[in-house]
Amino acid sequence: MEECFSCKGEQCENTYSEIEFLSRKILDLNKQLIDSGKAKSRFLSLVANALNNPIAVLLSMIPHLKPQNDLKLETIYALVHEQALTLDFRIQNLVAAAEIENGEVDISYASVDIKDLVDEAIKALRYTIEEKQIRMSVENTVEQKIVGDPQRLYLIFRNLIDNACNYGKEKGNVIITVRENDSRLHISVKNDGEGPKVEYKAQVYTRFAAGPEGAHGLGLGLSIVRDLSELMDGSIDYQTDGTSVTFMVDLPLQTALENSEAFGSNDFFFESFDDAIEL
Amino acid sequence: MIQGSSTFIHVGQLHIDYSPSAISTVLGSCVAVCLYDTRLGMGGMNHYLLPFWNGNGLQSPKFGNISIPKLIEMMISKGSHPSRMEAKVFGGASLNVGPLSNTMMIGEKNIMVAKEILHEYKIPIAAQDVGGRNGRKIQFDLERGKILLKYVARSEVEGE
Repeated sequence: MEECFSCKGEQCENTYSEIEFLSRKILDLNKQLIDSGKAKSRFLSLVANALNNPIAVLLSMIPHLKPQNDLKLETIYALVHEQALTLDFRIQNLVAAAEIENGEVDISYASVDIKDLVDEAIKALRYTIEEKQIRMSVENTVEQKIVGDPQRLYLIFRNLIDNACNYGKEKGNVIITVRENDSRLHISVKNDGEGPKVEYKAQVYTRFAAGPEGAHGLGLGLSIVRDLSELMDGSIDYQTDGTSVTFMVDLPLQTALENSEAFGSNDFFFESFDDAIEL
Repeated sequence: MIQGSSTFIHVGQLHIDYSPSAISTVLGSCVAVCLYDTRLGMGGMNHYLLPFWNGNGLQSPKFGNISIPKLIEMMISKGSHPSRMEAKVFGGASLNVGPLSNTMMIGEKNIMVAKEILHEYKIPIAAQDVGGRNGRKIQFDLERGKILLKYVARSEVEGE
């Protein structure tokens, strides 16, 4: 009997050292991966900041140039405005990715109107929607304001809707559903068209990975949505049924307004460190 | 008690601050590496969830092998040097008690990756409190370079 126990102990130890050995191996292999990734990271954060300011100026100035009663100029104006909006969106994504990779994302909480966020995201995509004649419908049952990070939530909506419009079929439907259940916020965006094939599942959230049918944008959008959702303790998943694809984001709802200051304030920690161990 | 303001960090965050501020966090199977440079009165803390980045998705500091080198580099960019840093490592508990949950050994791997990377940079580990079954609440007092640690009930450790 005793022998049996010691046997088991030995086995356990072997397994343990084996896992340690394998983990060390992963660490080594991973180093190569990181080195190649690091260059991307550095580039990302440099570019993001250098591009952000000029585009903000452009976007605020362009509306002043809107021509009156000149069809040709109006077409050109729409094209310029559309491209500027697209550029701005891509830069926002670059900035977000750089922030996430630098560990700089500090989720802040404010009172947010979901309807406003969705409307704003749709408005920014109005040219694409018009061009592809997409039928957009919004089913939002969250009427009161919620507590969340407006900027990050907007980016989540914007990316999901952008994705649906770009990958969706022409003259197809895009259905945005937002509902609240068990103090969680469920967001889903469904579009007609084939979704990513199963074999691409791992690639869907990989940054800079080109889509199987050729690249749209930078391949950053969904990786950002996933990371932002996870930073807010939420998750993302998608379903396809051959004719449509639905992306679902699930986020916990904050019940009380915990602004970041109160959350990390001294009071919170002063009390609780009375009989702490000092190391 | 601490004189300056205290910054609370979540998973995937890094923070560097100076005396007399403080940095705090709550850990379950996550690990926090605290670095301190006595000469500058500067210290940094990270908080990571998993040991390795697998090349999928963003290279975010919620992975130990991204987060620890990044923290060290941030300390260097603010004028410190690995030879002047000392490290303290906390967390890596096994929160789920069950026959299978331990096979994942997330906590253990998180601890291992910290030791391995610190060893590589030749940064000595001055103190540690790792493993076990309890979550931890830590506060890094940058004035004295000391960590205050308290064990917390499992229910208090959210999201891990």
